[in-house]
Amino acid sequence: MSISIPGKVPVLVAGGGPVGLSLAALLAHHGVRCWVLEADATWCEGSRAICISRRSQEILGWVGADRPLTAKGLSWVGGRSYFRDTEVLHFEMPSEPAERFAPMLNIQQYYVEQYAHAAALRAGGVEMRWSTRVNAVRPQASGVDVEFQTEDGQIHCVRTDWLVACDGGRSTVREQLGLQLEGMQYEGRYVIVDIEQDTERKVERLAWFDPPSNPGSTILMHRQPDNVWRIDYQVADHEDPVEAVKPENVLPRVQAHLDMIGETAPWKPLWISIYNAKCLTLPSYRSGRVLFAGDAAHLVPIFGVRGLNSGLDDAGNLAWKLALVQQGHAGDALLDSYSSERILATRENISFGAKSTEFMAPPHHGFALMREAALRLALVAPGVRSLINPRQSSPVEYVGSPLNQPDQGSAFTGGARAGMPAPEAMLQTSHGRGHLTQLFGSGFVALYFSNQPLLPAALQPLTEASRPGAAALRLVRVSGEQAPDARTVVDELGQAWRRYDAAEGTLYLVRPDGYVMGRWRDLASAPANIDVALKRALEDMDHG
Amino acid sequence: MDNAQIEITYTALAECIARVGETKTSLLLATLALDLLSQQPDAEAALRHILQAERLAKI
Repeated sequence: MSISIPGKVPVLVAGGGPVGLSLAALLAHHGVRCWVLEADATWCEGSRAICISRRSQEILGWVGADRPLTAKGLSWVGGRSYFRDTEVLHFEMPSEPAERFAPMLNIQQYYVEQYAHAAALRAGGVEMRWSTRVNAVRPQASGVDVEFQTEDGQIHCVRTDWLVACDGGRSTVREQLGLQLEGMQYEGRYVIVDIEQDTERKVERLAWFDPPSNPGSTILMHRQPDNVWRIDYQVADHEDPVEAVKPENVLPRVQAHLDMIGETAPWKPLWISIYNAKCLTLPSYRSGRVLFAGDAAHLVPIFGVRGLNSGLDDAGNLAWKLALVQQGHAGDALLDSYSSERILATRENISFGAKSTEFMAPPHHGFALMREAALRLALVAPGVRSLINPRQSSPVEYVGSPLNQPDQGSAFTGGARAGMPAPEAMLQTSHGRGHLTQLFGSGFVALYFSNQPLLPAALQPLTEASRPGAAALRLVRVSGEQAPDARTVVDELGQAWRRYDAAEGTLYLVRPDGYVMGRWRDLASAPANIDVALKRALEDMDHG
Repeated sequence: MDNAQIEITYTALAECIARVGETKTSLLLATLALDLLSQQPDAEAALRHILQAERLAKI
C-alpha cells in the first residue's frame, strides 16, 4: 500500500483507544492537526471500561460526543451491596434534578471510541490509521521520528513535533523509551463476563459478598445498553486463571447468580476476560517531546472506575496545553504542569483504588478477616457501612499546581479554590436553560458575578483581548437579575453564586479544562491578576 | 469517628493482624477486645457487645 507521508505531523497519537481518540478530537477542536495510529482494525472488542463519570461526560461534551453518549448510555446515581442476601449498604452519589450529566453512565467502551472518533472527524484535521502498529520511536532534538508498520507489512517513518502515547498498558512507546511503570500488583483475580439478557431491573451498581449463589466469592453487576449485563466475580486464589475463563467454568456460576436474584430471561455470554488490580505509574508523563496518557501512563484498580475516567481526564488536561504549545502560544514548560497535575491525580486514584481493592480482593489474611467482620457488623452498625462503599471516581484537586494563583487570604470561605474543578450550576442563557460547565472546553473563561447592568471600566480590557484559540479569554457575567445575552448568563436559582461563594464583583478565572485558576474579590486589581495568571500559563512557565 | 477515621482504623487493624500472623490472630483480637470492653461504662454494656459479636460470628 502506498501512503503519503508528510514532512512532519504536528502531533502523533499512538493508540486509537478511547483516550487516544478523545485526545485527537480535543486537539482537533483546538485546531491542532494530528495522526492517530492504531494497531487494531477498528474499535475495541468487548465492553471493557463501561462506567463513564460525570467529569468524563463533560470532557466528551467539549467535542459534542456527549449527545450520542447520553442518548445511548444508561445513567445511574447509586448502588447497593449485599452480604449474602441481606442489603448492608445503599449509597447515592451527589445528584440533582435537571443536572447536565448523571454522576455515572454505563456504556460499552466501543461506543465511547466510536463517538470520540466521530467527533474527531467532525472537527477535522485528524488522520486515523487503523491496522497500523508503532514499531520504533526515536526522539530527536526538534521532534520525534516514529517508525510504523501498515497492514501490508510496509514500514514507514514520520516525524512529529509531539508524540502522545495512548497505547495502553503494554505501551510500545513506553518500552521504546526504556521507561518502566512503578508500583505494585494485587494477586486477587476477577473474571469479567458480559451477557445479553432482557431485564427490567433499575440501573445501579450491585455488589454481593459471599452470595448463596457463589459462596466465598464477590460479585458485581452493572447494566449496559443493548440488554447487556456486566458481571464481575472474584475467583479463589487457588484457581488457575486460564481455567477460570473457560465457558464451562464461567457459565454455571453466572446461571446460579441469575437464578438467585430472579433474572430468569434467556441469556447468552458475549465476552469473557480476567483482571487483577494494579497500582502502577510512570514517575513522569513527559519525556522530552513524548507525553503519556491513559493506561500507557498509569494502571489503577478497576474498583471505583478510575481507569478510563482518569485517562479521559489526562486527555482533557493535556489537549489545551499541547495546543497552546504546538501553536506557539505557550512555552513547552506548560506541558510539565500536565505531568505534575496528572501524577498527583494518579497518586490519589491509586490511594483510593488500593483501599477499594483491599476490600474487594483482600490481599492478605488481615484484610480478609477484617472484611468478614465489617460485613457482619454492617448488619447492625451503620457507622461501619462506609467501609463497603466503592469510593467512585471523582475529580481530583490539583493542589500546588504551578498554574494556581494564590488565594486572597480569608476573602473566600467557600466555593472552589484554584486547582479545583469549577462547580456546576443551572443557568438561563440566551439560548435557553443551560449549565455553567457548558462554557468550558475551549479557551479561558472569566466569570464575573454581578447584578449591575453595566460592565465596570476596569473589566473592559478583558472583553477586548484577542488571544487566539485555546489562549482566548471569554468574559461571562453571572447575574442574578439581568436578562441573558451573549455575555450574560442568569443564575435564577442562585446555585452559581452559592457554589462559587460569590459577592458583587467576584471574579473567577477558569482554565480551558474547567479547573479554577484563580479568584478575586477586589475588582480593581482583578484584571491585572488575570493578566498575571495568563502570563504565568502562557509565558512564564519556564521560570516556574 | 468519621468515615476517614474508621477506614484508617480498619486498615491499621488489618495490617496488624497480618503482622502477628494467623496463629496469634485470636490472641491479638482477644487482647484488643478486652482492652476496649474494659472501657465500657459497666459490665452490662460490655456483655451486650460480646453477645452481639457472638451472634454475628454465627451467621
